[in-house]
Amino acid sequence: MDIFNGLLLGFSTATTFGNLLYCFLGVLLGTAVGVLPGLGPIATISMLLPFTFGLPVDTALIMLAGIFYGSQYGGSTTAILMNLPGEASSVVTMLDGHEMAKQGKAGRALAAAAIGSFFAGTVGTLFIAISAPLLASLALAFGPAEYFSLIVLGLITSMVLASGSLLTAFGMALFGMVLGMIGTDVNSGAARFTFGTPNLLDGLDFVVVATGIFGLGDVLANLENERSRAAGVAPVSSLFPTREDWKRMVAPILRGTGIGVLLGVLPGAGVLLASFSAYALEKKVSRYSAEFGKGAIEGVAAPEAANNAAAQTCFIPMLTLGLPGTATMALMIGALVVQGVQPGPEILTQQPALFWGLVVSMWLGNLMLLFLNLPLVGVWAKLISVPYQYLFPMICAFVAIGVYSINNSVFDVYMMALFGMLGYFFRKVGAEPAPLILAMILGPMAEEYLRRALLISHGDASVFFTSPLSLGTLSVAALLLLSIVSPRFRKVREEGLQEAD
Amino acid sequence: MKIGQDSILGLFFAVIGSIALWIAIQYPFGTAGRMGPGYFPVIISSLLVLTGICVLIRSMSMSGDPFPAIRWKALTLVPAAIVVFGLAVEPLGLLPAVFLLLVLSAATSVKFRLDWKAFAGALIFAGLCAVLFVELIGLPMPVLGTWLQ
Repeated sequence: MDIFNGLLLGFSTATTFGNLLYCFLGVLLGTAVGVLPGLGPIATISMLLPFTFGLPVDTALIMLAGIFYGSQYGGSTTAILMNLPGEASSVVTMLDGHEMAKQGKAGRALAAAAIGSFFAGTVGTLFIAISAPLLASLALAFGPAEYFSLIVLGLITSMVLASGSLLTAFGMALFGMVLGMIGTDVNSGAARFTFGTPNLLDGLDFVVVATGIFGLGDVLANLENERSRAAGVAPVSSLFPTREDWKRMVAPILRGTGIGVLLGVLPGAGVLLASFSAYALEKKVSRYSAEFGKGAIEGVAAPEAANNAAAQTCFIPMLTLGLPGTATMALMIGALVVQGVQPGPEILTQQPALFWGLVVSMWLGNLMLLFLNLPLVGVWAKLISVPYQYLFPMICAFVAIGVYSINNSVFDVYMMALFGMLGYFFRKVGAEPAPLILAMILGPMAEEYLRRALLISHGDASVFFTSPLSLGTLSVAALLLLSIVSPRFRKVREEGLQEAD
Repeated sequence: MKIGQDSILGLFFAVIGSIALWIAIQYPFGTAGRMGPGYFPVIISSLLVLTGICVLIRSMSMSGDPFPAIRWKALTLVPAAIVVFGLAVEPLGLLPAVFLLLVLSAATSVKFRLDWKAFAGALIFAGLCAVLFVELIGLPMPVLGTWLQ
């Protein structure tokens, strides 16, 4: 199916009344939860997951995607108005966005973020439409060795980008893999690490772990500094960028979009790398580089564009290879599996309506965000200022209901409580949980592909180096690891990730 | 003496890795060409033990950040409230379970005051949850459980 027909099919799928409505609902709910301080996309998606149960698969996926970029968008609103990042990637937006807000230019910062996001979202969606079918047909030529190398690359990238030391991130990834091994081994049927309980035979539900660590763990961490949480919300004035703003915004948005589109596809990189790189690039090339950190509109527009472009294109590895590139995408796969869909290269040929419907709905969702959020910004500002002591019991209720509703299993609820405490512990020891989450879903895939690759080669490990694709992927991974040893890159990484803390 | 973050994390990795390794060596290992269910787990958990030891060594050679104080009240009460929800949701139903969860978890906040407003608020929100999730979204869970019917 060519792109034109695909997009037509997508339009007819995405514009049915039900799908439009749920896309809208997803975007609205995602923004509403995403603006709440301290709730990033992962916590938001896992909280809102039960809303998608009982929907048809295409509608559920459309709504989930809506929730995802809604929450991303909501995060930047909070970053600009309140100087509190909902997630690591909005830290960059905060630098100049909140400065602008302090100078009474909050509205213009929000508008720059919205316009940049919308443009980048449009380009990102087009990029998916063009490149995903190509990549999916390429993916059919991928053997187990290539898949295994890609997984290794994804894991290494996520470790290099985690804040804190590489060794800690490595340990977290290994711990995630151990968690992923819990359950019945698909090949031998042996029950592994189940401690004799039938509750663990199907494995530890990924959504349960993510909700515990990110949703409940955040609540526990936030309760810690409850007294010092009182932060003001900047007032929002005129929402219209001036002609000067427009002139200064165009080039940064274009550059940010380019960076975001490319980096989003890289497994393990996610939106964080995109927004950091876009900000760093603008700071270098901008004529106004002296204003950066003091409220430069370029410093809002470029990372926001990069952020949103990457948020679109990080769907590509998931949709075409079935490999999640980021923790959020891993959660999306978890949600899809709950729906009975296994993402992979076949999704495009076997369920074209699902794929193209999603692509078109992403663009529609971005359009809705643009028209929904600028007028509603007053409502979001009110939501941000809801005191935490009212908010957190409701968050607890939502995560508990959400986790219970996945399998109607009380055991999952207890596991979530346990992983909430673990999430708090990881924060206390300065270990970032993102590699754990990614490794938990990539670990079993890595085992399966390693087993298949070595079965074909009769135990000869050189297959990973004789296939050019696999060798190339592994070389990129090795370069990444080497780069972290180089003192220059190390300094950049530390500085960049310091700001994310 | 202040205990460093790294000592605790290293110990955590090493202990989890050792338990996993001890369990994993009881599964058939197989060969590289024909992996048994124990092959991958043994490799991963050995690496985890090794990483834990390396983190421990690092904690001794470098003075890292000290382990911060823990606010035990929130850490224990909020998960306990979640467990209460789990215990209550089947026998009592969604509405009482959410009500209990709200009141118990809210009680951990320093700003919580035990008065009728807290109970009324929790009751209203629990009612909203019941309507939203059971009536509108249609999740298969009872509003009132078997004990109350």
